[in-house]
This record gives sequence, C-alpha cells and structure tokens, in this order.
Amino acid sequence: MKIRRNIVKERLHQGKTVSCLAAWGYSGPDHIERLGPFQPHGVFLEGEHGNIDPPNISNFTRSCDIIGATPIVRINQNDQGVIYRTLDLGALGIAVPHVNNKEEAENVVEGGKFYPLGKRGSFTSRQGIGVENYHDLANDQTMLIVLLEDIVAVENLDSILEVDHIDVFMVPSGDLAQSMGLPGQANHPDVQKVVDETMRRITKKGRITGAIANKDNVKNLYDNGATFFLCDPRPYMSEGFEKYQEFAKRNIK
Amino acid sequence: MELRKNRIKQRLRDGKHVIAIENMNDADSVEQFAPNNPHCFWFEGEHFIVNPQNIGDLTRAADLINTTSIVRVPRPEYQLIYHAFDLGAQGVAVPHVKSRADAELVVKASKFSPIGQRGMFTSRQGIGVDDYFRKANDETFILVFIEDLEAIENLDEILEVDNIDVFFVGPGDLSQELGHIGEQNHPEVNKVVQETINRITKKGRVAGTVANIHSYEWAMQTGARFFLSGTLDWIGKGFNEFKELSEKL
Repeated sequence: MKIRRNIVKERLHQGKTVSCLAAWGYSGPDHIERLGPFQPHGVFLEGEHGNIDPPNISNFTRSCDIIGATPIVRINQNDQGVIYRTLDLGALGIAVPHVNNKEEAENVVEGGKFYPLGKRGSFTSRQGIGVENYHDLANDQTMLIVLLEDIVAVENLDSILEVDHIDVFMVPSGDLAQSMGLPGQANHPDVQKVVDETMRRITKKGRITGAIANKDNVKNLYDNGATFFLCDPRPYMSEGFEKYQEFAKRNIK
Repeated sequence: MELRKNRIKQRLRDGKHVIAIENMNDADSVEQFAPNNPHCFWFEGEHFIVNPQNIGDLTRAADLINTTSIVRVPRPEYQLIYHAFDLGAQGVAVPHVKSRADAELVVKASKFSPIGQRGMFTSRQGIGVDDYFRKANDETFILVFIEDLEAIENLDEILEVDNIDVFFVGPGDLSQELGHIGEQNHPEVNKVVQETINRITKKGRVAGTVANIHSYEWAMQTGARFFLSGTLDWIGKGFNEFKELSEKL
C-alpha cells in the first residue's frame, strides 16, 4: 500500500495557495465528511481550544482522509509525546501554539519526525497501516506548523527560522495582541504592522507563512507572502442565515 | 421552576416564520451559533446520527442558547416519539405520516392526557417544574411530514387532527414518487408542493417545507411559514467564493 499524500504540504512547497476549512462551529466526523463536495485542501481540527483529543482524533482524521482533505490537528502543548501520538492517531499535520524560540521550534521537529531528522516515538500510525517502509516515508508526508503568537517569538524570529523541517510559520494576531499589551485588539494597526512585517520576513527567508483568511483580507495576506489560508466557517453560516432571515421578514406577512 | 417556553410555537402563534437549522448535530457547534439568535435547531434522527445517546447533549445546548430543539425521529412510532421528548426535545418531526390514524398516533405519543397518552415520565424539560404533566402539552411542538402521494390523497382527514403545529411538505420523497428523483424543485414537484401547501393553509393550519440555497426565495413565497435550512449550503457558498478568489491570486 502507498502512503497517503499530504496534499496541503505538497501544494505549499509547489508555491500554490492552500485553502483549509477550520472545524470551528461546525464539527463532528460525520459532518466533516459532508464537506467533501467543497474540496477543502485540508481540515483544521481544534485541539488547543476545542474538543479534539486522543479518543476522537482517529474518527476525525478518517473523515478527512475519506474526502481527500489533509487532516491538521492543533494541539495544546509543545510536547513531543503529544505531537507524535497525534500523528500516530492519523493527523498528517500538527499545529503547535506558542512557539517562542529556537529550542521550542526544534522540539516540534524532534517530536514530529522520525530518525534521522528527529526522535518521534517509533510506532506505525493509522496512516502507515500496510505501508512498506513507513518509517522512511512518513517524514515526507508529515507537516509541521508553528504558531508565532507572542512578541518574544517575533524578537527571536531569525533564529527560529534557522530550524529546518517546519513547513509553515503562522503569526496569529489574537495572542500576539495580548503579548503586546493590546488584549482583544487583534486588528489594532500596531499589531497588524507586526504581523505583516513578520510574514514578509518569513517569506524573505524562503519559508512559508499563513493566516486566518477571508474574502476581504486574502489579497493583503497574499501580498505579504501568505499562501496557507485557514477559513472560519462561522461567518459563512452567519451570513447565510441572516440572508434567509431578511428575505423571510420582507416576504412573509 | 418554570417550564421552558417553546419559542417556535409562540412565533407561529404570532404569525411569524420559523427557520429550523440542520446539519448541526454537534452540541458545541450549536452553542457557537448563539450570536445569531436562531429560532430552532433540527436534530436529524431519521437519516443521521441523532439517537437516544446524544439527544440530551444536543437539546441541552439548544436550551442554553434559548433555541427550540426539534428531533426528527425515524418513524411514526409511539415509544420513539415520547422518548425524544423525555430526553429533552421541545419538538418532534415525524416522517411519512400517511393517514389520519398515523397523525393521531403522533399526537397520542406527544401529548399527555387528556389530549393523548404520552408515556408517563418527567422529561429533562420537566426537572423541578411544578405540575409538569399538566403543563407539558402547551410547550411540545409536533410536525408531521406529508411526503407521500398517499398522504396527499388523505390530506383532508389528516388536517382534521388537532394539536399538530406544522404540516411539512417534503419535496425529496415526493420527487421520487413523482418520477423526478433528486430533483426537489422540478416544476412538477414544486407544483404539487405548492398545491399541498395551499390546502394546508386554507384550513388555517401551518405549512412547512425545505428552504435550501436554490429554493429559499421560492419556498418563502409559497405560504409556508416553517422552513428547514442547512448550514452546509452556507459553508459551501462562503468557502467556494473564497477558494475561487484565492486561486486567482
């Protein structure tokens, strides 16, 4: 059997844009399978803030596999055991929050890659069932995303960017704003300036960056170098519902 | 403690419309929808994962955001119907009701005496409520599906059955029998749905039907006041528009 390809990683390294749907406000394995017709490149499963954890990761990632979308799990701690267990259960991508320096970035690679790149615990993942030479092939298909979301990470950016085998360096503005003394003000111009500059510094070094994207901000994100886009379905649902509501109010007396 | 009010029963009494939201059989997703102040969530147990194991969790999430919960049960069966109410549903939707006897069975299962003979048990909705058994009938919502040609033939006698809040004309199953399988809005299907809605509203009863992204403007001008709409349509529209834009960059 052939190893399942990581579509998101493949596209990113070919210089293409990637559109992933985040399972925020629309979740459950049977629900995710129904996203198939929209052909998301990947699905972002929320385990830092949401209910994704070992008892349900395999069902969630199976529902992604069956629709051909790369399953990416955001975990809630930069811990090697958590990283490789999440991969063992079927994730093809791991997003690690609050990576603040070179050592922390190296820890992600050590947990996420088998020897010789790292020290991922030796075990055949759900993604490796029946795959010959799985341990030799797995590293190519696992994707590592680190979140640079504290101002100290921005200060340490040059050394963090020296770490190989990290596919995407994201600069989420919510936590960054907090760490800049601007809690709840992710759209503050000072915060956005840091985000834009940081994304440009990442791409200037030939690395990949990404962000939460929508129709209004995607052009600006792309101009600043981002190619990995995370889409939040909640505004889509809200917009759809409100449109029906308005029509009903106008037309039903 | 007061019995929780059934928001959509009140809306329908006030002559307003109701949009029931489907594709959200996940308690955390339901709760996240709170800012939109939806009227009603529809939990799918005829075709999807809703069953006695998860009705409590799903309906609790709906209660917490002040949204009416409807469970579609798999078939018109006495115990299945009141079990959904017992676990916390504020409404049931019952598929393939084809005759007066079927409609009467749904009412019998949903309402306590003197209206019906719902099995005696205090629902999750009745915890700590004084005199629950005398109050429950006022807040239980009943929807029956008219989705077979046989049901349309028997419509006049079905419409004589009291205590049914919505008669829902289901275009999907009708499209099969009308020879247009999967074409929910084929002109011939629309014609039958419209005629059936007219017969329902003419008798002073409330009609419902599907309002999807292709049909909502039509559906909302049929005279129906209850609509079943899904979030998947909305996600698909938003995401496809985004993807198209991002691929042009």
